[in-house]
Amino acid sequence: MNGRSFTDRDIHLALDGELPEDERTAYQAWLEANPDMKARSQRFAADNAALRGLFSGVLDEPVPARLAAAVNGDTPKRKGMPPWWRMSAAAALLIAGGLGGYLVGTGGFGFGPDSDDRMAELAIAAHQTFAADKNRPVEVDGSDPAYLTGWLSKRTGLNLVAPDLTGNGFQLLGGRLVPAAGSTAALMLYADEQGNRISVYVTTGGIDATKGTYVLADGGPEAVYWQEQGYGCAVVGTLPPDELRVVARDAYKQLLAGAGLARS
Amino acid sequence: MEEKKAAILQEIPRLRRYARALLRDRESADDLVQDCLERALTRMENWRTGESPRRWLFTIMHHLFIDQMRKVKRRGEAAILPLDAGEALATPAIQAESVASREIVDALQQISPDRRAALVMVAIEGFSYAEAATMLGVPAGTLMSRIARGREELRALLDDQARRRTIRIVEK
Repeated sequence: MNGRSFTDRDIHLALDGELPEDERTAYQAWLEANPDMKARSQRFAADNAALRGLFSGVLDEPVPARLAAAVNGDTPKRKGMPPWWRMSAAAALLIAGGLGGYLVGTGGFGFGPDSDDRMAELAIAAHQTFAADKNRPVEVDGSDPAYLTGWLSKRTGLNLVAPDLTGNGFQLLGGRLVPAAGSTAALMLYADEQGNRISVYVTTGGIDATKGTYVLADGGPEAVYWQEQGYGCAVVGTLPPDELRVVARDAYKQLLAGAGLARS
Repeated sequence: MEEKKAAILQEIPRLRRYARALLRDRESADDLVQDCLERALTRMENWRTGESPRRWLFTIMHHLFIDQMRKVKRRGEAAILPLDAGEALATPAIQAESVASREIVDALQQISPDRRAALVMVAIEGFSYAEAATMLGVPAGTLMSRIARGREELRALLDDQARRRTIRIVEK
């Protein structure tokens, strides 16, 4: 095997103890003859040692009780969602009886697994289409919020209010109807003094209770969303992430309160 | 059954270390371990008795990790964090992190999940290429290239950080 030539691939094999015993002497000689390869091998070896050292302490940590309990077949409670989120927002937001009740009863239509992703994508698409329209972003302006939300509520089957986001620097521009997956969504647009626009997208539908944030693979605005049985809400905009989350929670809280639910 | 459970319990520290290297955040890592243990308990018949449950458990956890990464990729990393600002700060993987250790942990999180898993299994967990390839369900050649690329990527990220640090010092 003396004639074997080595490559940088062998550096990894050697480092991971995968180089055959009878090749090690020749490998060492190759390293000595190739200073750049030797330096490379030393850097990788140092990184390896650093990685091992960094995580070695985990082995000495006491095993968390919840993990031991899991092995013994008890299913310990997870650190869950806050109680206000567990509340069934859907029931109160949906206008009792009508279309909403029907949707809850049938599990909604057009929504399956990953319906939260789908909702976030539609909310982002609506935001990109309408918030970018400088002159005609809305169908009905925000000068009479009661009229606006009355119309949107009727068309979506939701009991809607227009969240007051002036505390966050955002004024209501107005709203419009936009398509949702198998139904209709209300889109309410807001702008701040710098001209940043955010949209609040509310729709029926959805099966799983989820929440999260969503950004398309190629970037663009972020959606912060909540989805409950029969109800979904996404706040979309291009703001620093923490800022958007604060505004989004404020909007969501008011949507719940407006439907007769006080947030705990 | 009790013997089997005891054998699984013994593997928890190793599973936790692997999860922590993969995910950095302590709570998320322990959630992954818990998911793994819960799933393992429903599939005890898949564990070939007489063998250490280690590789079986690591295999289960790897599948869960990859599933989770697919979801995170689509939703943005914040999806796994609670929205409450107070809870949103991740627990550091290691107490009293030095700048150097923070950098290497950060860099590890930046390499792709597949490469990260391969590198961590071999470099930190000390599995052989053959063992790691079996657990990750890939051919040996794929495993090798993931390790090589992962390690090179990690080094490039660290060199990059070092360069940025140098520039900052020069700018002062």
